[in-house]
Amino acid sequence: MKVKVLFSVLGTLLILFIVVPIFRMVIAVDPATLAKTAVEREVIGSVLLTLRASLWATLTAFFLGIPLAYVLARSHFFGKKIIEGLIDIPVIIPHTAAGIALLMVWGRHSLFTRWTGISLVGTEAAISLAMFFVSVPFLINSAKEAFKFIDVRFEKTAISLGASPWKAFTSVSLPMAKKAIISGGILMWARGISEFGAVVVLAYHPMTASVLIFERFQNFGLKYAVPVTVLLIIISLVVFTILRILEDRQ
Amino acid sequence: MIRLENIQKRYQDFEIKSINLEVKKGEYFIILGPSGSGKTLLLEMIAGLVKSDSGNIKGIEHTRFGLIYQDYMLFPHLNVAQNIGYGLSIQRKSKNEINTAVENTSKELGIYHLLHRSVNNLSGGEKQRVAIARAMILKPEVYLFDEPTAALDLSTRIQIQRLFMQLHKELHPTIIHVTHDFDEALALGDKIGLLLNGDLIQLDTPEEVFRNPATKAAAEFLGYKNVFSGRIRNNRIKIDGIEITTLVSQSDLAYIAIQSNDIILSKKKILSSARNSFFGKVIKVIQRGSYVEVVLDAGILLYVDITYHSCQEMGVEPGSRLWVTFKTSAVKVFEH
Repeated sequence: MKVKVLFSVLGTLLILFIVVPIFRMVIAVDPATLAKTAVEREVIGSVLLTLRASLWATLTAFFLGIPLAYVLARSHFFGKKIIEGLIDIPVIIPHTAAGIALLMVWGRHSLFTRWTGISLVGTEAAISLAMFFVSVPFLINSAKEAFKFIDVRFEKTAISLGASPWKAFTSVSLPMAKKAIISGGILMWARGISEFGAVVVLAYHPMTASVLIFERFQNFGLKYAVPVTVLLIIISLVVFTILRILEDRQ
Repeated sequence: MIRLENIQKRYQDFEIKSINLEVKKGEYFIILGPSGSGKTLLLEMIAGLVKSDSGNIKGIEHTRFGLIYQDYMLFPHLNVAQNIGYGLSIQRKSKNEINTAVENTSKELGIYHLLHRSVNNLSGGEKQRVAIARAMILKPEVYLFDEPTAALDLSTRIQIQRLFMQLHKELHPTIIHVTHDFDEALALGDKIGLLLNGDLIQLDTPEEVFRNPATKAAAEFLGYKNVFSGRIRNNRIKIDGIEITTLVSQSDLAYIAIQSNDIILSKKKILSSARNSFFGKVIKVIQRGSYVEVVLDAGILLYVDITYHSCQEMGVEPGSRLWVTFKTSAVKVFEH
């Protein structure tokens, strides 16, 4: 009983640490200003852009990251630990540094642009790229842990029942790992939405919500930055609460 | 016929050592061995799920087989009916065809009432029946069982063993069944391959394996409690001051094993053809369900199994002084 009380107290402290600044910010905005901000074209555009760009990044990661996660979970090969370390790098390095690294590969003077003539800088694709880079480890690591947790004998059983290895993967391993993969996807999407450092280096325009908040804060001060922030928080809270409920129902 | 020729496999520190064996069509073959002996690895190599480092496995390449694991491996995201019908859905059979086959198979195995249940809420016995149904629906020519009853309680285990017997009797498939349970091997197998530490050390009928274990390690695994070592001279082995008569005349290092139910306990010395007779004091009397295990100090510690009735009649209790007698032929001698 004493342990429960102690843990409850510690948990409450942590929740307060997160909630108080947010609450403080929310109450600082009067509803009229918030409503006005919510219909501002620039704000709506940037919030939608943020949600969309991060969604593209996440969907691409499903396509590329799940096979990689599966290989890392199931295979043992020389250099596997190095690859796992490399995947974690985007989480470790400062995100402005990540932005600069990306700029060198995808920027105006990069080989990519010189060869293809396409410049991604300042496009929605660049924003997705930056978001993908910094948030993909969340999806890969969740999927990898989920695949590791699934006994390989489930796949062997499926194969013994006539399934090809591909069919065993799609009909057994993938559905069994689905919950963790979706959870990782939600986390990745969320992490992409909040990204600032890498995005601002690669694509200041079009402005994502985080860049817009930064710009309003720089040019007009706190009073103009807070309503956009609160709006983003409210939208994110609603979207992610719905997603978590859907996830639990599964 | 399934034939294994010089199958070898190294896996981390463990090694399967050059296995050669044949399983005849329609035979119930048991691979018997303790945990860590390589049974499952061998079975997975036979199934083609793990590649051997060298050697050949013939006769199963294009054969349909049903693989059943100890922990069922039922797909948790599918219900009972979907699990049973999984193999047919892979073959892209029509829904009607799958439903009919699932219903028929589940009726045969007494799990029809479970079809729409989640596999996560079934008992161990029900889960194993679902796993058997899932394999059986494909009418395999070969069944591969990996400790299929190890996780079940005694009465369910007996039920599942009866199901295997019935399956084998009615459909005559070839069955390769991996187990560590000798009683199960004795009850089900036509033939046993005894696998110890990656080595196939004996290949024979269950009765012969039990009566004449090939090595000391085999005797110990098969539950021989009276195992001793020593030097044999003139058909006698000396162990801690007592001399036991053996059929082997000479050996510098031999192991002997005497089955605990080959030893006779008596209050008076028996005048008989049995050459080994010793007097000792009972140390312990242990109830073992259907029999009583008596531990007796006759210079060496001997384990003797007797019936509860005999124990009562003779009044055997700790401190009782009794004679132990056994025939020379009951002393199995191993030189390795």
